[in-house]
Amino acid sequence: MATPVTSGLKQVKPILSLTHIEAHRKVITLYKTWYRQIPFIIYFNFVKKANYIIPVTKEECQQKLREEFYRHANVRDLRVIDMLLVKGQMELQEVCAQWKPAATLLRYWKETEEPKPKDFMSKFLSGHE
Amino acid sequence: MLRLPVIKLTAGLQNGRIPVARLHITSSKLQQELVEVFIDDKPVQVPPGTTVLQAAAKVGVEIPRFCYHERLAVAGNCRMCLVEIEKQIKPVAACAMPVMKGWRVKTNSDLTRKAREGVMEFLLVNHPLDCPICDQGGECDLQDQSMAFGSDRSRFVDINYTGKRAVEDKDIGPLIKTIMTRCIHCTRCIRFASEVAGIDDLGTTGRGNDMQVGTYVEKMFLSELSGNIIDLCPVGALTSKPYAFVARPWETRRTDSIDVLDAVGSNIVISHRTNEVLRILPREINEEWLSDKARFSCDGLKRQRLITPMIKINGKLEAVEWEDALVATARAIQDIAPNKCAAIAGKLVDAEALVALKDLVNRLGGEVLATEQSFPKEGAGIDIRSNYVLNNTIAAVEEADVVLLIGTNPRYEAPLVNTRLRKGYIHGEQTIGLIGPNVDLTYDYEVSIKPDNTLHLGQSADIVTQLRNGTHSFSNTLKSAKKPLIILGVDQLTRKDGAKILSETQLLAQALGENTKAPEEWKVLNILHTRASQVAALDVGYSSTVEEVKEQQPKVLFLLGADDANIKREDFPNTCIIYIGSHGDEGASIADVILPGAAYTEKVATYVNTEGRSQQTCAAITPPGMARPDWKIIRALSEICGVRLPYDDLAEVRSRLEEIAPHLVRYGVVESANYFAQALELSKQVPGCLSSNPLEVKQETLDQFFMTDAISRASQTMAKCVQAVIKQRESNL
Repeated sequence: MATPVTSGLKQVKPILSLTHIEAHRKVITLYKTWYRQIPFIIYFNFVKKANYIIPVTKEECQQKLREEFYRHANVRDLRVIDMLLVKGQMELQEVCAQWKPAATLLRYWKETEEPKPKDFMSKFLSGHE
Repeated sequence: MLRLPVIKLTAGLQNGRIPVARLHITSSKLQQELVEVFIDDKPVQVPPGTTVLQAAAKVGVEIPRFCYHERLAVAGNCRMCLVEIEKQIKPVAACAMPVMKGWRVKTNSDLTRKAREGVMEFLLVNHPLDCPICDQGGECDLQDQSMAFGSDRSRFVDINYTGKRAVEDKDIGPLIKTIMTRCIHCTRCIRFASEVAGIDDLGTTGRGNDMQVGTYVEKMFLSELSGNIIDLCPVGALTSKPYAFVARPWETRRTDSIDVLDAVGSNIVISHRTNEVLRILPREINEEWLSDKARFSCDGLKRQRLITPMIKINGKLEAVEWEDALVATARAIQDIAPNKCAAIAGKLVDAEALVALKDLVNRLGGEVLATEQSFPKEGAGIDIRSNYVLNNTIAAVEEADVVLLIGTNPRYEAPLVNTRLRKGYIHGEQTIGLIGPNVDLTYDYEVSIKPDNTLHLGQSADIVTQLRNGTHSFSNTLKSAKKPLIILGVDQLTRKDGAKILSETQLLAQALGENTKAPEEWKVLNILHTRASQVAALDVGYSSTVEEVKEQQPKVLFLLGADDANIKREDFPNTCIIYIGSHGDEGASIADVILPGAAYTEKVATYVNTEGRSQQTCAAITPPGMARPDWKIIRALSEICGVRLPYDDLAEVRSRLEEIAPHLVRYGVVESANYFAQALELSKQVPGCLSSNPLEVKQETLDQFFMTDAISRASQTMAKCVQAVIKQRESNL
């Protein structure tokens, strides 16, 4: 005899945070860590002999950092926030250790990327469907 | 001519008749005498005369076969379909044996399997092991069935290699490559040639191990349907010459689409790889057949293509960017006086482009929208749709008992309609009369008792009137018909007395329709078109003629793929001619601006066939170079000209299509025409009289069949066919 399937609310396993407050605190921490790291990313570091020589200022980096965090401002799901936290942490590690090349880091600014055509005429002229 | 295939006569059973033809038997009769048989212990009720193979197919048991083909007569010579029947000593050939009551067929018994293995072994004894260099590899019935039903071990003992049987290859034209050593003598090609194509050229010589399939003397297989024997051949004996060593079936992609090289709108599969059309095959709909033009002209899609916009600079066409071309066009169009803008639509144009161009021209104040092939305006003209479509549908053509063809050669104008007529003639005792030149239709048409002793009814148009009055000898046959059918070639309507011919035909159709007891939905009057775009163009209101455009002398003239309009540069001395189309042909050569469009394999587009069925092509590949789908070009141009058309994507264009004519977007459905009585009333007012000029058809012989439009004119294969036909004609074999 098969038991009838019952459905209801399911408790999912948390990734990092149990409450929104905790998650918020972690986000702020991550943000601060990044913020403090910025000078070490773009200026020459005598101790570690490692830095990125990229044509952006400290202010531009801070601006971009805010943008990247605000890009996910609408995320409410705890697990998604936690995933983003983990990814942000990983990204920070990659940048600090210079695993990421300078060009890849610069893709945050997308300066060489051409926007895809949106209206009919530009789509027609560029040959995009 | 032998009207019934020999097999059908000798078998003495209904199995000579293909299943579709059985539709004539009333269903009540079927129900009375069903026979119960058991296929692998599964009971099935079938009408008497059904073969074992068909009964097995009914319960989903497929019996292997080579020679049997459901659209051809039964031959029963490959023996692959041997099955065991309980309480019978020998296995029987399932394809030819009609079932008896209570038979228990075993399709998977030891005896059956042993029989199949034996047949397979005999076939392979004389079949070369050249699968790696065989074009059929991957879609070969012999390969598949030897894997599924053959023996798992070889009895090969010829270690000294004395050689297998070898047969000389035949040369049967530029389309079909023959490697006759691979032939397993299934005789499908022979049966197709004599039954469907009506060309009794193929046959066998010799017997036993020396049997050969061929044409006796070396000659071309002169048929407009010859490509179908490639599909029919279960092995690699007959393969496609243009496709030889091009690709394997597993590495190509397939896209279902529609053929646009005639007005039948055959359903096709485009086989393509790396943005290149490799071959075109029929889908299972048009009785699996496809005309050679539709099948082999796909190499024309790669030649003579317009790949960049062009502007005439100092009397010479120069390649430019899209921006420049559009701006140059817009400059010619700007400040144009009302009614100084016109358009001519060509053969291969889709409904989307027709509608977009109509909208653009109307917004620019123009009203003259012409098709290359004119349609008379007198009477109801194009206002009533029954005037210009094949009302009775193509599939129903074979059901007619008397057919009158007026000024048309269906064999070359619509080969698949002709196969229906031939099928009706062979299987359904159809009587066919032709008013027009004495052409070879592959079947006999009415022998007239005219004094000049010709085989046809005559060539002059007033025979239509005589038939109605009953003064012609054929009119009795026509009037006694239960399901009469009149097929009028649309080319006749371009004559000066075209309207009168249509009106006389309508009167005749009405007289016949009243006379007969045919069911309500049986339509006597049918128009056979030759151009894929024509019905859609008439549906959306392209009513003018090329002559009217010439009279108007517009400032701006759009040629939408118009290559056959027979217009000269001198006709339009002060006109800016804008050509939108895919191929560099007649139209592009006289243009001031060329805007490169997409061919039918490169766009999702709507076409309406001669019976009024709207169908869509699907894009298999992308347009070459800077070419774009036609309606997008017109849409882009409209924006530059400042009269923006309100649609940006395909769905929006199609909703515009639906606004104009809802049937254009009801794909796959025949929108039946009506208002026959009203059309007739209006046509009675047509003035004038029939001219005494004889009715002519444009395509009388096979060489005139192959190259009729921009795509097939650009095709090398088609050019080779024309040459081969002319050479064959001169060789008097």
